[in-house]
Amino acid sequence: MNGGVKKKNGGKEDEQDGLSVHSPCKAPNSSASSLRKEQSQVDLELKLLEALEIYPPVKLQGIHRHFVLYGLTEYMRRSFNRQFSGSDVLQMLDRFYNLEMLKPDDEESGILNQVEEFSLPPSYFTKEES
Amino acid sequence: MNKKHTVSHEIKKRRVYPRTTPLMASSKDDSATDADDSAANRRRANSNTKLFADGERVLAYHGPRIYEAKVLKSEIRKNDWKYFVHYLGWSKTWDEWVDADRLMKKTAENIRKQQALDKKQGVEPKLGRSNQTKSKTPNGIPSYCHLVLSVGSSGSKGKKRKHESSAEKENTAVEKVVGIEIPQTLKKQLVDDWGFVNEQNKLVELPRSPNVDDILKMYLEYRSKKDNMITDSVEEILKGLRCYFDRALPVILLYDKERLQYRESIKNDVSPSSIYGAEHLLRLFVKLPEILPYVNIEGDLLMSLQQEFLDFLTFLQKKQSSFFLLYDE
Repeated sequence: MNGGVKKKNGGKEDEQDGLSVHSPCKAPNSSASSLRKEQSQVDLELKLLEALEIYPPVKLQGIHRHFVLYGLTEYMRRSFNRQFSGSDVLQMLDRFYNLEMLKPDDEESGILNQVEEFSLPPSYFTKEES
Repeated sequence: MNKKHTVSHEIKKRRVYPRTTPLMASSKDDSATDADDSAANRRRANSNTKLFADGERVLAYHGPRIYEAKVLKSEIRKNDWKYFVHYLGWSKTWDEWVDADRLMKKTAENIRKQQALDKKQGVEPKLGRSNQTKSKTPNGIPSYCHLVLSVGSSGSKGKKRKHESSAEKENTAVEKVVGIEIPQTLKKQLVDDWGFVNEQNKLVELPRSPNVDDILKMYLEYRSKKDNMITDSVEEILKGLRCYFDRALPVILLYDKERLQYRESIKNDVSPSSIYGAEHLLRLFVKLPEILPYVNIEGDLLMSLQQEFLDFLTFLQKKQSSFFLLYDE
């Protein structure tokens, strides 16, 4: 009687027809939309992989990981013009990388590797503009 | 800062490196010990004549400018000390062997020389740190994005392809350094802080309240209320700052006079961010431009990061009277 999509039923379960929501005799609409979903999932992943050129996964384990993740997340946000959280991104990455296995290069920490007394730049002590 | 070595090293420097015509009577000047030693030119380079230590931070000439570098290793070749240096913030592919005459101690005077050369090149230094803008890397692709905005790049659309973006960077004639602008009253706070510790021997009393963790939390709350929206990116940045703070504090954020206090206060696995407060957090912002280049951050993303830092500093400034304290013996 109604193979049609009863989305207008709101939160009601579609049990009344004896058909489950995932029944294959759903109207073509839904298969088209799930196709679209797959497509956008692919788009997301492609974008993510593109982003990794700038923000290499290995840096997601080192001292800079939060800023690298920030960069990655912002990249995705701007590409799709929608919200992403850091954990969304990490979850997506999980499909491609086992992040725990990555070891960051020690040299990458730069000045954080050597003890040096703190000092203010000379310009702080003079009145000249820098 | 090995100021005490500067003078004696200059004398040594004139003694260590032989002239090109070894048999000429010494065109060297001054130093009585030189006159005594007519075999100065044939003196062996040895551990006493080594000017720079392995691991030491130095200033190095490269092309027309001076860059901050680190001595990775050293050797005697042809009776001269040679130093293998790494330019800080640059790819390892730039590492090279140099003579001592290309290196200088990292003193305030030499930093001024560095800034002078920067000015000559038409580059504005920020916070006393030189910008590092070499136009090409060996691969033709910039290995690190420094705190640099390329004027005229299509940064607003983001970079589409790697080779496109590197071509853009190589073509831009003018590059701007984007530093971290610390508000004037906070700069004064830092100078006062320096004075208390170094001139008056007064240290901050630990543990501090509010501590760094508290301050970061308060800022997050303040932002959530103000923006009334998801503050996920702010959270990530704050986590990053906390991470840097805990790592950086004992390494680059302390005056030597504070080291004993540090050892006494930080025991077991206590995190610095739970003990120290605004005074030391502020010092992190002075060092941030030197820490961040090791992260690849693109043009306008960098700008939004800059803006976030500035927002945070403004918040600190607002709360200056309650976050920062007078000092204790």
